[in-house]
Amino acid sequence: MSSAREDILGRLRRALAQQPPFPNQPRASYLPVTRLSPDEDLKARFIAECERVKGIVHRAPDEAAARDALRDLLAGRNVRRVILWDEAHIPLSGIATLLQALGIARIQGDNAEVATADVGITGADWAIAATGTLVLSSGPGKPRMASLLPPMHIAVLTEDRIVPRLEDYIAAQRARQLGAFRRSSNITLITGSSRTSDIEMHPVFGVHGPLALYIILIENLSERR
Amino acid sequence: MSRTTQFSQSVTVALSDIQLQTALDRGTTRGVNARIAAMVETTDADALRRQARLAREHALNHLPDLLEQLERNVIANGGHVLWARDAAELNQVILDLCQKHGVRCVTKGKSMVTEESELNHALEAHGIEVTESDLGEYIIQLAGETPSHIVFPMLHKTKEATAQLLHDKLGMPMTDRPEEMTRFVRGVMRRKYLEADMGISGVNFAIAETGTIATVENEGNNRLSTSAPRVHVAVMGVEKVIATWEDYAILVQLLARSATGQRLSVYNNLMSGPRRPDEPDGPEVFYLIIMDNGRSHILGSEYTESLACIRCGACLNACPVYQNIGGHAYGWVYPGPIGSIISPLLLGPTHAPELPYASSLCGACQAACPVEINIPDMLLKLRRDLVQAGDATLAWRAGMRLWRQAMLSPALYRSGGWLASLATQMLANAEGKIESLPPPLKAWTDSRDFPAFAKQPFRERLKQRRRSQARPGVSG
Repeated sequence: MSSAREDILGRLRRALAQQPPFPNQPRASYLPVTRLSPDEDLKARFIAECERVKGIVHRAPDEAAARDALRDLLAGRNVRRVILWDEAHIPLSGIATLLQALGIARIQGDNAEVATADVGITGADWAIAATGTLVLSSGPGKPRMASLLPPMHIAVLTEDRIVPRLEDYIAAQRARQLGAFRRSSNITLITGSSRTSDIEMHPVFGVHGPLALYIILIENLSERR
Repeated sequence: MSRTTQFSQSVTVALSDIQLQTALDRGTTRGVNARIAAMVETTDADALRRQARLAREHALNHLPDLLEQLERNVIANGGHVLWARDAAELNQVILDLCQKHGVRCVTKGKSMVTEESELNHALEAHGIEVTESDLGEYIIQLAGETPSHIVFPMLHKTKEATAQLLHDKLGMPMTDRPEEMTRFVRGVMRRKYLEADMGISGVNFAIAETGTIATVENEGNNRLSTSAPRVHVAVMGVEKVIATWEDYAILVQLLARSATGQRLSVYNNLMSGPRRPDEPDGPEVFYLIIMDNGRSHILGSEYTESLACIRCGACLNACPVYQNIGGHAYGWVYPGPIGSIISPLLLGPTHAPELPYASSLCGACQAACPVEINIPDMLLKLRRDLVQAGDATLAWRAGMRLWRQAMLSPALYRSGGWLASLATQMLANAEGKIESLPPPLKAWTDSRDFPAFAKQPFRERLKQRRRSQARPGVSG
């Protein structure tokens, strides 16, 4: 008896044996989907798009201001436990010291343990201006759950990671032989807070993912380490 | 009971269900408006739809090669690929995996393919607990119902009915606020994710060149189902594969805009195999199951373009028939205009032969489709197939022959029109509508009025108009 694989592929090949169902056409150039003007201020657009989808952006002129923003976010909410990416993957120094000063425990371990965290803190590989999207890849020191299980997700991002559109992010990966898509078991494009429209197509924010998404955007890159 | 009466009975029930009519009206109106707004603001909606269409055509032209490339790359990423000829085999493959990995609890992300196979029943029959994790799917599962829309599975339910259900089944305090219902379900589902041994998800796109599975969602339930349990099983129909990441970029954006009017859905999850040895979390094992279940019979036929569908649901929202009867009347997994094509093709022409007729051929579905599927044309072809297979009554055949002859002879057409005008004018009420025609035409007037023919035929009005236009100094 032949295998399901052989059977299915055989049927498909026979179906196409006569001629392709559609004329083969060259598909060299792609029109991007979102309108952006050539002189678009990408940072302003990114912030506006984030806010449209219930992401809250804190602009920080430098790292010191970013640390202040993070401190305010954590201290104002009685946060006790956080899960965070390794600091090598977050473009902000001194987070460990800050957590210690606030008496906040850093959680590691299995999903049940991580589920007790109040906040997840991550970096972001890229950000997409046209849609207000964050790109997070999994990897060593970059747990998926930090952006997923806690009720609040804080992503720290530097301005130089903002690309215009999804198409530009894909083009950047193409230029790198698509290595990221093979290296990471998971890449997630996050556009705003988790939401549903299942009940009468009425939008509700905060479903199974984080209830709130905060982005700390570090603007002045010359002061980075 | 014949299937025809079953369908028309479902329609009659749906039309008189006030709660359903309210829910459909609220839902489809929002859906249509959101899609139009999101497509209008793009660079060039028609050019983009063409691009998306070409991406799907390319994939279907090269389907077996792309599936093999996908398989190679999934394996290179550390995953496993399994194949299923039909729905029964799919369920068996998943049951075997459950046994192999000692699985007792499963959470599911949204998957239409497993609706085809009624996987939940198969797993439950073997003592495995299955929980749908999408909010709408979960509520449908609690109610013991089936989805009525591809994207909004509980579109047929009002918020009032939803609150009552959550109150009765889970003791939620009564509320009319969707926010409170959502928060309540979040609490229930959290525990399920952490208990589950296996997560089962669908696949929106499978990108052959890197062996990556893409899912599209807003809630986070799919990310949780595919990341938290130790085993992840992704299930796809053979047609879901696409060639490149550039194809992904166009398709995923048109999917979001067409389905919900979003620029991008909240979570676009890209999964390439199981967690790597140096990664802190994610599933330890990854399986991709590729199912045929009748699709290979469609490929290469004159219905091939139905395989281009990306399951956005835009044609459902836009369809005046769906807007009135909802999804359940269609009788199977895929409702609406695209369902009227896919269902008979996948289940065989004897399944619900009235579905191809459940359309006014107005073309709203084709105009809404992000991959330009010519749904009205395929509905006509399906009707032709049905007639050729003998699915037409003697009266119907005789009537069509008469119609044909009248249409071929101008004299016959004229006198027929005159006769019809005279007869209908006599039967009409004060508003020019006929409330009840004699049998067999009575079937038409049972559920709607028939407008009387105009006293003056169009031909004569046109003639008059031309005469008056020909006179100098008088404009038409």
